[in-house]
Amino acid sequence: MLAGFFPPDLSLSYLAALTVPLMQTISMAAGGMLIACLIGLPLAMFVGAQVRGARLAYGLLSGLRAIPDLTLAILCVVVVGIGPAAGMLALAIFYAAMIGKVFADLFLAADWRPIEALRSVGATRLMVAFYGLLPMTLTNLVSMGCYSFECAVRAAVIVGAVGGGGLGAELVGTINAFDYGRATTLIILLVIVVSALDSLSWLLRRHPRAVLLLIPLGLAALWANWPETLALRHAATTIGGMFPPALPLPALQALPRLLLETAFIAGAGTLLAAVLAVPLGLLAARNLVPAPVAMATRMLLEVLRAVPEVIWGLVLVTLVGVGPIAGVVALGLHSVGVLGKLYAEACENVRRAPVQALEATGARRLAVACYAILPLASAPVAIHTLFRLEWNLRAASVVGMIGAGGIGQALYNAQQLFFYDQMMAYVLITWAIVLLADALSDWTRRRLGWATVIA
Amino acid sequence: MPLLPTAARLVALAVLLLVAAIAAPEAAARDSIRVGMIPDAGSTQVSVEEKAPLRDYLAKAMGQSVELIIPTNYNATVEALGNETLDFAYLGGLTYIKAHQLYGVVPIVQRDADREFHALFIVRSGLPIQSLQDLKGRTFAFGDINSTSGHLMPFEALRRAGIDADKDLKYRYTGSHPATAKAVETGAIDAGAIDESVYQAMQKDGKLDGAKVRVFFTTPPFVDYVWVGRMQVDAAVRAKFGEAFLALQPGRDDRILAILRGNKFVRATDDEYDTLRRVATDLKLF
Repeated sequence: MLAGFFPPDLSLSYLAALTVPLMQTISMAAGGMLIACLIGLPLAMFVGAQVRGARLAYGLLSGLRAIPDLTLAILCVVVVGIGPAAGMLALAIFYAAMIGKVFADLFLAADWRPIEALRSVGATRLMVAFYGLLPMTLTNLVSMGCYSFECAVRAAVIVGAVGGGGLGAELVGTINAFDYGRATTLIILLVIVVSALDSLSWLLRRHPRAVLLLIPLGLAALWANWPETLALRHAATTIGGMFPPALPLPALQALPRLLLETAFIAGAGTLLAAVLAVPLGLLAARNLVPAPVAMATRMLLEVLRAVPEVIWGLVLVTLVGVGPIAGVVALGLHSVGVLGKLYAEACENVRRAPVQALEATGARRLAVACYAILPLASAPVAIHTLFRLEWNLRAASVVGMIGAGGIGQALYNAQQLFFYDQMMAYVLITWAIVLLADALSDWTRRRLGWATVIA
Repeated sequence: MPLLPTAARLVALAVLLLVAAIAAPEAAARDSIRVGMIPDAGSTQVSVEEKAPLRDYLAKAMGQSVELIIPTNYNATVEALGNETLDFAYLGGLTYIKAHQLYGVVPIVQRDADREFHALFIVRSGLPIQSLQDLKGRTFAFGDINSTSGHLMPFEALRRAGIDADKDLKYRYTGSHPATAKAVETGAIDAGAIDESVYQAMQKDGKLDGAKVRVFFTTPPFVDYVWVGRMQVDAAVRAKFGEAFLALQPGRDDRILAILRGNKFVRATDDEYDTLRRVATDLKLF
């Protein structure tokens, strides 16, 4: 069946037909990010300036961020209707919360001395924010902003899968139509777009002011994707139908099993990724293997990483059938890409002295890797893996929606059947669990004295 | 700090443009008719193109430009009628009763075959499955969760045969009828339930290998697909839309009839769907 995915359909007519979905995906991300910045940046400054209500705003941002992007997309599709407008709105909300929280963290971590200086000359808190916080953290802001934009494009493909239009919708369509050759074309296109964005963000980090050039792009995108009819009454009645959230008795009885299934997908997916990422990480570490091997491994990891979990999931559901195994492998494949790269970096950054000591005894490369480099890299490897587990819990609830089971699938089925009060109940349960997992992982890190890594 | 005032001005400009963007589409009235179809073969650029003759025919009959839209799934098609993205749509029986209850959509026309429609249970040739009971423990494919001939009525047939799909089958939703047929043909899934007209059309067009799949059960007849209009669309426009379908003639309009997989269209009414409503309510799908 895997053979069906090759060769990809690279005919000119199909590539031409893809320009519209491609533009939709990119413009969804661009428009969504523009709104996200317009909302997130002032909110972050509000928090950073530590004026009254800042704690509340920060709590709100953290809470909003815990709603998975695909869940938001489903909510937006229900309210705004299918198409890029819904996708753009979902991305706008998700990334407003993300940018707000991450930027607020950056502001809160800023050097306090220049700020004290500003305060001592009588500047108000708002002036401190504008003339102190903003210029001081500009480089980091741009860097994080670029990273967010890259994530947003990937997310734009994902939200397409549930009705947001663009490449995601096309991918679901081709897979449902068993048109695998074209599905491969779409995945290749996605990998190219993501790596192009990588180079763009590298460029922007060098020339932060070029970010302003993205504003017209965002505006054009907003213009193109703005919903033609703002069906406010439809939106209001639909949202009204979601309250009060309720689950019938059989659904409540099934809940523990669904949650276990989702936890299993997250846990097993992370484990699979960690196990595969150790050898791949070693093969990608430039200080351990010849450069061509490291390059080749890195490229493989890059491809695995460029394809989001949901897209792997869509492909796997057709290959291994619906169910948690598809979810585990989907999370595993994407996470191998992420963890392999991070593990490789951890290996490259170990202290040289103990490694050289072992090498001096005449130990072979494999022995050096096992007895010096891996133990030395174990702390960062553990941190990255724990982060991935936290991330994968969110992702597990999301891949459920495309057929991997667990609470995500229950949520999606309720939405499909127009049982919006049940859907809302599942949304709230997912949200509470993700918040809980976030808090638990924060607490673990603090207990172990690990530094907080943003994102 | 020269950057900040510039940034502030840009933000102001952005807000102004944003306001303009909100205001502009309100003013521009829409002059094309939007027709939606539940996805019968996945919603892709290709499948919209395949239906271009239908779009052109409707445009000519209505004297207005027509946009043909195939949403990602059945639910989205109904919601698009609710939020007024679509004016007309092709719905299945179950999606129709939901759209009627939620948004009061009006039934217009349907194929004569839709009044006595059947769902087929298909299985990969060679598997020892002769009756619904033999499905116990097998993998099984339903179409979209909102499909009448791909989920609702087959589910009911299974229930009547004493099979509890939740306990006795390992089932999944493939999202569309052709996907179900393909999943059974390739052996990814043992058996499945499918719309009879899609099954026949796929065999005729050579999209399905008749030697690899066989039908082992046909459901009793029920009412299925229907073309509907939004209540707010002018009654005269709705009537014109219906006439376009009623005027279709075998021999003259074969290309369009092939896309619609039908021979003859008749007027549709809401009370045909009462039985379907009862079944859907019993199965807690409505």
